[in-house]
Amino acid sequence: MARRLAKLNGLDLAQISGTGPHGRIVKKDIEAALEKGVGKAATSASASAPASAAPAAAAAPSGMSSDQVLKLFDDDSYELVPHDGMRKTIAKRLTESKQTIPHFYVSVDCELDALLALRSQLNGAAPTDKDGKPAYKLSVNDMTIKALALALRDVPDANVSWTDDNMVKHKHADVGVAVSIPGGLITPIVRQAEMKPLSVISNEMKDLGKRAKERKLKPEEYQGGTTAVSNMGMMDVKDFSAVVNPPHATILAVGAGEQRPVVKDGALAIATVMTVTLSTDHRCVDGALGAELLAAFKGYIQNPMSMLV
Amino acid sequence: MADTAYDVIIIGSGPGGYVTAIRSAQLGLKTAIVEREHLGGICLNWGCIPTKALLRSAEMMDHANHAKHYGLKLEGKMSADVKDVVARSRGVSARLNGGVGFLMKKNKIDVIWGEAKLTKPGEVVVGKSTKPAVEPQHPVPKGVKGEGTYTAKHIIVATGARPRALPGIEPDGKLIWTYFEAMKPDFMPKSLVVMGSGAIGIEFASFYRSMGVDVTVVEVMKNVMPVEDAEISGIARKALEKRGMKILTEAKVAKVEKGANSITAHVETKDGKVQTITADRLISAVGVVGNIENLGLEALGVKTDHGCVMIDGYGKTNVPGLYAIGDVAGPPMLAHKAEHEGVVCIEKIAGLPNVHPMDKGKIPGCTYCNPQVASVGLTEAAAKEAGRDIRVGRFSFGANGKAIALGEDNGLIKTIFDKKTGELLGAHMVGTEVTELIQGFVVAMNLETTEEDLMHTIFPHPTLSEMMKESVLDAYGRALNA
Repeated sequence: MARRLAKLNGLDLAQISGTGPHGRIVKKDIEAALEKGVGKAATSASASAPASAAPAAAAAPSGMSSDQVLKLFDDDSYELVPHDGMRKTIAKRLTESKQTIPHFYVSVDCELDALLALRSQLNGAAPTDKDGKPAYKLSVNDMTIKALALALRDVPDANVSWTDDNMVKHKHADVGVAVSIPGGLITPIVRQAEMKPLSVISNEMKDLGKRAKERKLKPEEYQGGTTAVSNMGMMDVKDFSAVVNPPHATILAVGAGEQRPVVKDGALAIATVMTVTLSTDHRCVDGALGAELLAAFKGYIQNPMSMLV
Repeated sequence: MADTAYDVIIIGSGPGGYVTAIRSAQLGLKTAIVEREHLGGICLNWGCIPTKALLRSAEMMDHANHAKHYGLKLEGKMSADVKDVVARSRGVSARLNGGVGFLMKKNKIDVIWGEAKLTKPGEVVVGKSTKPAVEPQHPVPKGVKGEGTYTAKHIIVATGARPRALPGIEPDGKLIWTYFEAMKPDFMPKSLVVMGSGAIGIEFASFYRSMGVDVTVVEVMKNVMPVEDAEISGIARKALEKRGMKILTEAKVAKVEKGANSITAHVETKDGKVQTITADRLISAVGVVGNIENLGLEALGVKTDHGCVMIDGYGKTNVPGLYAIGDVAGPPMLAHKAEHEGVVCIEKIAGLPNVHPMDKGKIPGCTYCNPQVASVGLTEAAAKEAGRDIRVGRFSFGANGKAIALGEDNGLIKTIFDKKTGELLGAHMVGTEVTELIQGFVVAMNLETTEEDLMHTIFPHPTLSEMMKESVLDAYGRALNA
């Protein structure tokens, strides 16, 4: 029965662990493998490619069982906290991402001095309402979102999603922004960010961030998107690389802006620098394309006036 | 108080309880079993086993009545001595009852005699039985422990079930019988109404019919033995009617009037018509209900549903350290289900690896009327209802050499497969000895064989079992002897 089901579904029995008598693979194991997407035989996956199968199709070894993990610790040395829905979603999606998406990474340093100067200038010029509250207060993150969106507009080949059948070329840059909330994180999306003025992006982000923390986002506000930004600058992180969140093909990991020695015109100088690392899905964004996107991004960050036109 | 502290106490020594106790002892757990009335429970005292003894007498009678058919001459008239038929049945029961006592001793399981009450988690207070015992009783086994307070880390409730009573038609032990009275008649009635055509009802109907009694079966559902495949049920019905049994389906006993030594049943049929049937006795066989009362379950907050204790796949109730298995833990209320449920429960308690919950879809069922009925898995209707694309195979006893030689050429073996995967979804049989045949398909289902494996299996010739293979072949249009 198990053999028949495996054949019908194009599964490789060698990649499935059995729970029957003496480790025999039984029907239940096949059903579990189908549900988890484990054990797709390499040949059938690349040939017929059902939507759930990744072309690389390396078998995902399932992790240690709960019992196996707990056995390594004394009974009273821990407490168990059941997973909530968000934790399960994070685990599922990121595992899926790392197992199915061939990641690669490109990093650049961006000088921020011009951007910081422009930011204070713009914030200083913000009109105020009758209570003296400014109409907007731009953050570096808001400007990063805009710069990435514009870079994707300029390098449209990088604004894509992978499907087994087609390259999905997006017409707008919908930028997901990772927001850390108690117990996990969520990624609300600034839609068509390349078209929106910085002030709009900024206010939209404030609203999304606030409601994300209250867990009041609607599904359509965090599902989809064409890319994402994860900013850990406020936590003094120098650089890191992020996990692509499908259906995105890219994610930008942003470090802290800090004063560093730089060489300008053959002389040592001090500049405010942040390191960003772009993770891409190599199936649809190749190395040179990733570099091109990052160069465009760096251009907007270092010449921020160009974001205003 | 060390001698009253156990790892496991099991309440009830029916087939579920005593088998669980033995497995528990095998696993090295200090085990006790509480029983208030009879080791072996209903199954081997007032159920499965003694009825099989009665039905054997009925079978001998049927054979004798057909002796001529086999070229044999019996001088004089064949007749049954009720007293001796019942005595043999009680003797069979007594032997097995003693056997359970022996098994308890052999496995060093303490038997505590009395009625158990759960007072607080981990504690069982055993007192005098509040239930009047069914007579005649087998003697109380020697060396049992008496009333007192006992403790255990794990307590398993295996208290079984009892006949369901319909309001207004409550069994009185005189004119309205349950299986208890029907099993030990002190005279052979001339006529009987049997209310309910499940396994219990139809077996008694078949027994008494063989004994020459005028039997009328009243069933509310559309088919007799309503859980069985409709086609199989239809064949069984025809055969029973041919033996002179009257069967009313989609009919219910609305009222029973009691006379001095007879009853009159008012039977309402689907078309709204009421007919009255007067008979010596009425057997009430309208199902069984779990024994959940007077156990202290309510005080401990144990969750129940429809008169049964609610459990997870391993017999755990919602109260830590308290488990339930068998009839009291819900349907199907069958001894073999109870045994397996008990073994799963105790193996999980003992921490054995690879313990899996019982698959209720693979529990066989057997009914020992003449002709016998046996089945496992989905009926044709259920498979279709589940949206399965199926292939159905059929093979008749009339085309099997062994069946013809036995003079038992009426019956059918039916198999149901998933069209795409070849999974054996169900097997259904009616005919002589099918209760012994069904197990072949149960093993096949449990090993998850496909039609291909079954076709590659060699069945011995000449046997009734050859029909099993032919039925499989027929599902794929390849039957050889049809």
